Amino acid sequence: MQRGFPWARHAVLVVVSALMLLPFYWVLKTAITDENIYAYPPRLLPQDPHPYNFVDVWYLIPFPRYLLNSIIVSVLAVVGNVVLNAMAAYALTQNFRAKKLVILLLLSCMLIPFQATIIPAYLITARIGLLNTYLGLALPLISTIVCIFIYKSAFEAVPRSLVEAARMDGLSEWRIIAHVLLPLSRPAIATNVILAFIWSWNSFMWPLIITRDADMQTLPLGLARFLSYMEDTTGALYAFVCLVLAPGILVFLMAQSAFIRGLTHGATKG
Amino acid sequence: MSASRRSLHPWLLSRWVIVPAVLLMLVFGWNVNVAMNATGEVRGQVVDATGQPVPNATVQLFERSFVVNTEKQRATTGPDGRFRFEGNASHAVQLQAEAPGIGKSERRTLRLLFRAQDADLPEPLVLNP
Repeated sequence: MQRGFPWARHAVLVVVSALMLLPFYWVLKTAITDENIYAYPPRLLPQDPHPYNFVDVWYLIPFPRYLLNSIIVSVLAVVGNVVLNAMAAYALTQNFRAKKLVILLLLSCMLIPFQATIIPAYLITARIGLLNTYLGLALPLISTIVCIFIYKSAFEAVPRSLVEAARMDGLSEWRIIAHVLLPLSRPAIATNVILAFIWSWNSFMWPLIITRDADMQTLPLGLARFLSYMEDTTGALYAFVCLVLAPGILVFLMAQSAFIRGLTHGATKG
Repeated sequence: MSASRRSLHPWLLSRWVIVPAVLLMLVFGWNVNVAMNATGEVRGQVVDATGQPVPNATVQLFERSFVVNTEKQRATTGPDGRFRFEGNASHAVQLQAEAPGIGKSERRTLRLLFRAQDADLPEPLVLNP
């Protein structure tokens, strides 16, 4: 069927894609109109679209400040993940005593939900004086175990002889990571960038706990605050949602092909 | 030098450079537009039920906040029924006109694309008894 009727496969995929995109479309449609989302019968096309809900969001709350905070925290998380995870993954590709124990420890840590670690994480962050700071906001996501294993899988796919040749040429371990392994692991880098960005961008509970000033709040906290103020204006609320979603979607679209290669790298190996 | 130029081009053509550059240009262009049109002037006209301009009508400008609209300015219409406010700092205002012996208009909302945007009321305020 697949060879004989490629159009049928595409038609099914188009329908499924449209169904999955429908909620996003509905959010955008409501954001550019003031329609009641419970109106019956629902209208598929927006009537009298306008951008004023976005203007309200920009001015009624300190949206630019929240945006700046979210960008700073996400950049810290992305840089931390790309650099620190590469170092950790490289270590895990080497042979050393208790390597399996370390891997087991890392994997078992993934079983612990973040909510269970919030109190010790808060106490540690307070002890090192990072409460209410950008670094403190980014700290729990500055290195993630899933992303370490994505790097590890990519590094293991690089021929061992290449690393040995680089070592024989006198490259230090740092330079092997930077000049040999990372250039050959672009899908893994893209996966790290996207996952770290989306996780930090959407993070709600940790910023809620460690921020003290309204000026240090990030977009998800701003969204909750906005919801409490503007509970009767669905259009403005959905406009806020669109503005929060847009950067994440943009980053994903820019890196989607490398992201998918990075995620399926280990799955198709060997 | 030629080698560095060769290695520069792929980076410049990368989507990681082009997309942020386009976004920066859009933001810059938008801010230039805002700077050129943020005079804070709001203009309009007041007419009676028959469509005739109403001189000496009082027009109130309300500024919108989260839940309330606060009166910020008042102006009086000229002989042609036109009025003008200066120094509006809001992105959403309401306008209402009143003239003794003629009546009062409905409160009209004027939403702007940015704060202090130079704006004309698209339709006149109509006084009804």
